[in-house]
Amino acid sequence: MPIEVNGKSLEVDEEGYLANINDWEPGVADVMSKEDDLTLTDEHWDIINYLREYYEEYQIAPAVRVLTKAVGKKFGKDKGNSKYLYGLFPYGPAKQACRYAGLPKPTGCV
Amino acid sequence: MSAEMTEFSLERGLQAWREEIDAPTATFFSSCVRCGLCAQACPFFVETGDPQYTPIHKLEPLRRVWEREFTLLGKLKAKLGFGQPITDAMLDEWEPLLYDSCSMCGRCSMVCPAGNDIQYMIRKTREGMVASGHAPEGLVAASVRAVKTGSPMGLQWKTLEVQIQHVETATELQVPIDQPDADYLVLLSSMEIINFPEYLEAITKIFAHAGVSWTLSKECFEATNAGIQIGSKDIAAVLVQRVVDAAVKLRVKNVISPECGHAYTAIRWEGPNAIKQAYPFKVFHIIEVLDQLRATGRLKLEGKETDRLSMHDPCNLARKSGVIDEQRRLINLVADNFVDLKEHGKFQWCCGAGGGVSSNERAEPLKLAAFQRKKAQIEEIKPERLVTMCATCRTQLEEGLEEFNMEIPVVGLTEMIAEHLVEGEKP
Repeated sequence: MPIEVNGKSLEVDEEGYLANINDWEPGVADVMSKEDDLTLTDEHWDIINYLREYYEEYQIAPAVRVLTKAVGKKFGKDKGNSKYLYGLFPYGPAKQACRYAGLPKPTGCV
Repeated sequence: MSAEMTEFSLERGLQAWREEIDAPTATFFSSCVRCGLCAQACPFFVETGDPQYTPIHKLEPLRRVWEREFTLLGKLKAKLGFGQPITDAMLDEWEPLLYDSCSMCGRCSMVCPAGNDIQYMIRKTREGMVASGHAPEGLVAASVRAVKTGSPMGLQWKTLEVQIQHVETATELQVPIDQPDADYLVLLSSMEIINFPEYLEAITKIFAHAGVSWTLSKECFEATNAGIQIGSKDIAAVLVQRVVDAAVKLRVKNVISPECGHAYTAIRWEGPNAIKQAYPFKVFHIIEVLDQLRATGRLKLEGKETDRLSMHDPCNLARKSGVIDEQRRLINLVADNFVDLKEHGKFQWCCGAGGGVSSNERAEPLKLAAFQRKKAQIEEIKPERLVTMCATCRTQLEEGLEEFNMEIPVVGLTEMIAEHLVEGEKP
């Protein structure tokens, strides 16, 4: 089922991740968070925007530990921990925030 | 993924098990005395107290095939309609037992008084689970990515290239790429590349210091083997062959498996059997290579860590491969206050995340439950920091320690050694 963002219809996969990362615009996060009954604050946007930057550099969606560590490096230790990030993104910081940021679903190692 | 991987069926699973049942397997099943010692050795049982996590019980699908088709009594019972059949419904029930509650740590095999190698049979049982279409979604996805992209995380060379640039900027050294005739081909794990790039920085410094000739290969940098974890000989062989091809093309003498546990058992022990061919090179874990450099006087180190350090041995490295003294000789070069966990080396307890558990989302609660055994061990010793040598163990330790509000940083041994190199001096 595609999602409607600012009058445009965007393809998503069965788990709700954007099919094409280049379709992303801030409205995507607004629409997706509304569906989850979540109000996005500046703190959410810091993480979403950072994920866009992160993907631009590393070309991979970070798994939860990777995200936690990277956020710690960027925003300091009080934000680089899973309690803070779960507080913002209760469905799992990496999965939910990557989805809002238009990234693919993060993967783990074997 | 090969075409046959997409055609799963119960019959294919049964066929896979018939092929897996060998003389050791038959002997093991006939010699089990149901003493239950394997349960006491398993962190998943010990921390949940749930009898379904008894290791030998997890093998029931394979045991039933053996009984029904390989024993006289079982054949007779099956003929008269008394035998227990294997159905898809039964396999649905066993899938979490074989994957979510087993990290193939091998502690059960070690304690079995009859000498039954239970984790060897778990590995075999997983072959039939894959063939019958009963492997966890997360591991299937990781295996597909490994075959298609070379990495279980879907990580590409361009990501490694970014990290190489960071390392080169930080160290002012060059990371050699595709250098023919190098002594060592260095492999990495995806988790190390993205989450612990300090490992690549550390070996870049150490090898420059010790004058080791090494290279990365653009064609194959991944050491992990999703085929071994999920239980697919076909996928395992494809992934091992990529390493062999890259090593042969560059004519290297040795291949170094990174700070990852299962990558080492995959390439060092299972690999030649998987591709049915001997390697024209040797395989070492990075810890073995560092210990050789130590023994030959090629590491010049200075200063010591003074805080209380302890160590987590990866199961694949210590119990399953016998690399135990090497990491202790190395840490004692750079640490004044190193204390081992009470059960360590071949008796160590698993972190709870190996054997594919870490890529299986459904297993997350069990993974955390199993970690509590490690937590109890850590609480006995109360170290200020933990040292280990596997990216999956390290990720799990960090995650678990944070969950229980224990502020104990986890460091990789290779990077700790690199921090003590005497700069600008070659031994």
